[in-house]
Amino acid sequence: MTAAPERPEEDIDEASVQGESGEREELFRRLPEPEARDELTRIYQPLAEYLARRFFGRGEPIEDLIQVANIGLLKAIDRFDLSREVKFSTYATATVVGELKRHFRDKGWALRVPRRLQEAGMKVGRAVSELSQDLGRAPTIREIAQRTELSDEEVLEAMETAHAYTTASLDAPTDEDGATSIDRLGAEEEMFEQLEGWTSLAPAIQELPQRERTILYLRFFRGLTQTQIADELGISQMHVSRLLARTLRDLRRSVGEPEA
Amino acid sequence: MSADVTVTVPAAPEFVRVVRFVAASVGAAMDLTYDRIEDLRLAVDEACDQLLALPGDDAMLTVRVTPTGTGVRVFACTDAPASPGTWPPTGFQEGLAWRVLTGLADDVAFELTDEGASVRMAVEGGGT
Repeated sequence: MTAAPERPEEDIDEASVQGESGEREELFRRLPEPEARDELTRIYQPLAEYLARRFFGRGEPIEDLIQVANIGLLKAIDRFDLSREVKFSTYATATVVGELKRHFRDKGWALRVPRRLQEAGMKVGRAVSELSQDLGRAPTIREIAQRTELSDEEVLEAMETAHAYTTASLDAPTDEDGATSIDRLGAEEEMFEQLEGWTSLAPAIQELPQRERTILYLRFFRGLTQTQIADELGISQMHVSRLLARTLRDLRRSVGEPEA
Repeated sequence: MSADVTVTVPAAPEFVRVVRFVAASVGAAMDLTYDRIEDLRLAVDEACDQLLALPGDDAMLTVRVTPTGTGVRVFACTDAPASPGTWPPTGFQEGLAWRVLTGLADDVAFELTDEGASVRMAVEGGGT
């Protein structure tokens, strides 16, 4: 974890519920009433997001991490026992972190990526985004190396590492902040089926999550670069790279080529 | 860097990573951008995947990467047995690999050469 935790979870707890501990207890007593549950979720949302951000930069989009953290938070709310001598924030932190760790474990990440590479990947991802903004074009490897103070080889290795993760599931929910542009593309996307040459691939493509389909469409039909796709969808270039590599690999498996 | 770089590895999926890395390194030396390097890797993946589909015991995969000053040319081939009946694969121009390769690279060709079944392509800078 290189991102310094600016707000320890205890502070969030204090900040959110200072002087309201009675009210908070009351909310827990009213469970499983939906309104009480919603209110507690709202109160502790910053905690879930803070914890999700601590896991950012390891190859998973932040929106997915927040979703996972929220699942953990709901579990914590449902399971918390007021009679225990433990603060809810402490209990929730353990539950949410457990959920996030399981998420990475399920995807084969934490076990397989040495920290050095995780950190290099994070730096490279950031540098690509920043330099693209600064330069108005995608940076060269040398430019990324200069910005990150890594060697060319280390930059390439980090890019390779980003590609190597094939285990992550393809059915990740579509991210929220990409929704607007994805909606806008929805109609164009239907053209996929009609496109000559893609027709035989359509069934497999249809099974892809919408975001992956959109990326394929933008790259191979509209001819956008990965940087332009990243802008369009509001996600990082590295994430586009990873999704594209994974999608193509997956399609190869499910489609197969005409037999020789 | 001006000379060709050639690597020969066993024709098995676990060695494609090596080939991809070599191609990316030559591309980086040609100052290809991040986007184009990513295109190059995906294209190399796709080309190797095609060649690996040819059955052959102890077959080898050879990839030659030629720097052009502004990008790279890639020639990938395998010594797995191939004949005009098996390479290029029937209907390959309707397949995913062809769509992907021609979307990522220029001058894509599937050919049966003296060195065996091959895929060649070029990835140039193009400034974006």
